[in-house]
Amino acid sequence: MKNSIAERIADFLSAYPPFTNLTFDELTQVAMDIRVITLEKHKAIFKIDDPLHDCFYVVGAGVINLSVISDAEETLLNRCEPGDIMGLRPFFAKNNYQMTAKAREDSILYAIPIATFRPFVANNTAVLDFLLQSFASTSRSSLDKNKNKLINDTVQYIDSQTEIQYFQSLDYNKKPLTVAPTAIVQQVAQLMTDNLTGCVIVQENNIPLGIVTDSEFRSKVATGRFYITTLVNSIMSPVITVPENLSLAEAQLFMLRQNVQYLCVTIDGTDKTQIRGIISQHDIISAQSNNPGILVKEIKKAPDASELKHLREKLADFIRISIDNKIPISHINNIAGEVNMAIIKRAVDLAILEIGSPPARFAWLSIGSQGRKEQLLMTDQDSMLVFEDVAADKYRDVKDYFLKLAKRVISMLETVGYPLCRYGHMAGNMVWCKSMTDWTNQFDEWMTNPAAKPEDSYSIFFDFEIAFGEIQLEEALTDSIFSNLSARKNKKFFAFLGNEAIRKPPPLSFFKQFNLEEEGEHKELFDIKNRAIMPYVDAARVLTLSNHIKGVNNTFSRFKQLAANEPKYADIYMNCAEAFLMLLKFRTISGIRNGNDGQFISIEELTKPDREKLKNCFLPLKDLEEIIKNKYQLTFFS
Amino acid sequence: MLDWLKNINKDYPDFWKAYLSKFDRRSPRFVALSITTTGHDYKKDVILSISGFGILNDEIIIGDSYEVVLLQYVYNHDHQLSNEFIVESRQPKALEPDGIKAFVDYIGNATLVGHRVNFDVEMINEALEKLHCGRLKNEALDIEIMYQKWKDLNDDKHFTLAELSSLLKMPAIEKVSASEDAYAIALMFLKLKSRLGLK
Repeated sequence: MKNSIAERIADFLSAYPPFTNLTFDELTQVAMDIRVITLEKHKAIFKIDDPLHDCFYVVGAGVINLSVISDAEETLLNRCEPGDIMGLRPFFAKNNYQMTAKAREDSILYAIPIATFRPFVANNTAVLDFLLQSFASTSRSSLDKNKNKLINDTVQYIDSQTEIQYFQSLDYNKKPLTVAPTAIVQQVAQLMTDNLTGCVIVQENNIPLGIVTDSEFRSKVATGRFYITTLVNSIMSPVITVPENLSLAEAQLFMLRQNVQYLCVTIDGTDKTQIRGIISQHDIISAQSNNPGILVKEIKKAPDASELKHLREKLADFIRISIDNKIPISHINNIAGEVNMAIIKRAVDLAILEIGSPPARFAWLSIGSQGRKEQLLMTDQDSMLVFEDVAADKYRDVKDYFLKLAKRVISMLETVGYPLCRYGHMAGNMVWCKSMTDWTNQFDEWMTNPAAKPEDSYSIFFDFEIAFGEIQLEEALTDSIFSNLSARKNKKFFAFLGNEAIRKPPPLSFFKQFNLEEEGEHKELFDIKNRAIMPYVDAARVLTLSNHIKGVNNTFSRFKQLAANEPKYADIYMNCAEAFLMLLKFRTISGIRNGNDGQFISIEELTKPDREKLKNCFLPLKDLEEIIKNKYQLTFFS
Repeated sequence: MLDWLKNINKDYPDFWKAYLSKFDRRSPRFVALSITTTGHDYKKDVILSISGFGILNDEIIIGDSYEVVLLQYVYNHDHQLSNEFIVESRQPKALEPDGIKAFVDYIGNATLVGHRVNFDVEMINEALEKLHCGRLKNEALDIEIMYQKWKDLNDDKHFTLAELSSLLKMPAIEKVSASEDAYAIALMFLKLKSRLGLK
């Protein structure tokens, strides 16, 4: 009998590999045997150590997180989006599931019985190949885009540590420098210097005989034991050979075990076959860190917004791995800040390429969290644009151009994944795209009349950082703000900012319980942004402004600088800096886990020590509040 | 009771007897059901198509489906509708008696699930009466009422299928046909069932 839903599912499947290899009729046949499951948010379809199901799954709608749990901590391995397949283990292995698949949002799954699908696998090698590869990676996106990020379904624990082995393939030099054994040491040294490389393989008929590295020159030649005219085979060291397709972890182990810095790749891994390349310690370092430097390089030449989006996703991976590896959050912050800046810069670049060069000099300033370089997750964009003063008759055209430019940049950034600012604090908005004079007046107005419009929070405009354009404009703007500050000793303004800082809803109740959201979409969750992070951010801002500290935008650095400037409060400021970083970490981890901006975190999901840790982050707030209250005599507003 | 007395000496068609004999025990199976009709008056209007999807163990069984377009000669004739479109379409077709018979065989003793399911059941009962059968004995669940229960709403709040679908954040229903609707009802039912904690 005819079944239009089976056809619709077949139609859906036909867009994704490996189903692309099957005909529509075959797919309809498969679809007839499919069972459809709805999975509520946070419900698991299978858990670690569950016995295998008789089917594998294709995500029809929603998102499924694949994770492992160790030491009561959940580590996210991968995300499956519509069209992704998961739970292939029953196809290939007999033991229980080794991962937990949990819905990150309400999802629909198609369960395809193994028995139905097996004949198609047997008859179609392309399908089999795809499934085997997916079994190792379980994600379509990682296959398409970066082939070196394969996460195996088999998770191994080393020494009961919570280490996951990342089976990364390694990028290495496929054309190593080689010399004959009869080459002269001096020539070899010259060759290495010319090629900017630290090692050379000594070979005969492309079979490796030995290796000469910088250390041979240091220990054997520079010490005078050998003359620079000797043959190279007299100073070479034995070479360690490895097979092709080595994983990152294996290469690392080899180097540690053999205590060498270079591995020579040969066809079968022995020193009897031909050379295929050389792996250096440096290759391993860059493979491990998902090198942000390279990321920035790639961003600089990204051709369009979708490539930028892909690169931004890489940054997210980098952040996730860094946090897993306990790299200090201040460091991650700096790197993420640079990468984000590079993305914005490139977006402006691309927009200019598209609509023509600007009629006047300008500066694109990031404000808010990006301006402070505290943007680890994809939070909304905040920006402003300032252009140089132009003749009155040109003003309109110039402004029109910049508005157009800004709108283009903003929509590009939206494609990359930064949501629009809810309050319209973006350069594409008429009000936030102005000439230098207009901006100076605007800041002037804000500072002399701070509470004119109390519903309008403009304090984020004081955290600007140049992303693109003329740095002089940014400097001029900073100067004008600071000259305003010193000229008038603007008490009212500081009082206003100070008041804003301490006005935030308290994180804990009278009984030291977390104040959770009482209603709305985020009911029962903790608003870490408004209740904990923003008070620190706001306080740091007003304190640095009143201390005339220029050019320090980062909240963490601001507190550090404040500690240096005001020794009597140094302890408090240092505590604030630490607490702030910890809060940022909590937010980032929650954001990564839930795939959102992490503003609302679930206290229930925290372990008990984590809850205490989080509570401790609120302790310095009290002292901070006292400082602000005393300093700015908060009687103007409260 | 009266119904039973009235029918005690009636000789039912065989398919109906087979249907009745299935009710010895409760079925774990649900059938999500959607019908299209010519209107909302179950005395005057007729069924144009019926679709159903089986649900077992919280899984929609795609293969367990029923789909039929009923060729309503009288209706088409009265309204001077061309039969061509219906005849040309690729959907399985049947005359009303055969379609209803097959449907009764298909649902068996499953619990029916629908949107405003009482109307659907009533329409089918009318068709059954023409075949000299009794009324459907299946239990029936209504996703609209389930939604009202879950949200603690009054029962005077009504939602169309499309509204429910977006309220429950389900993927949009693409084409409007009885089987799309039945599938959507099945998905919503599963979600509501788990929200309400029904076994």
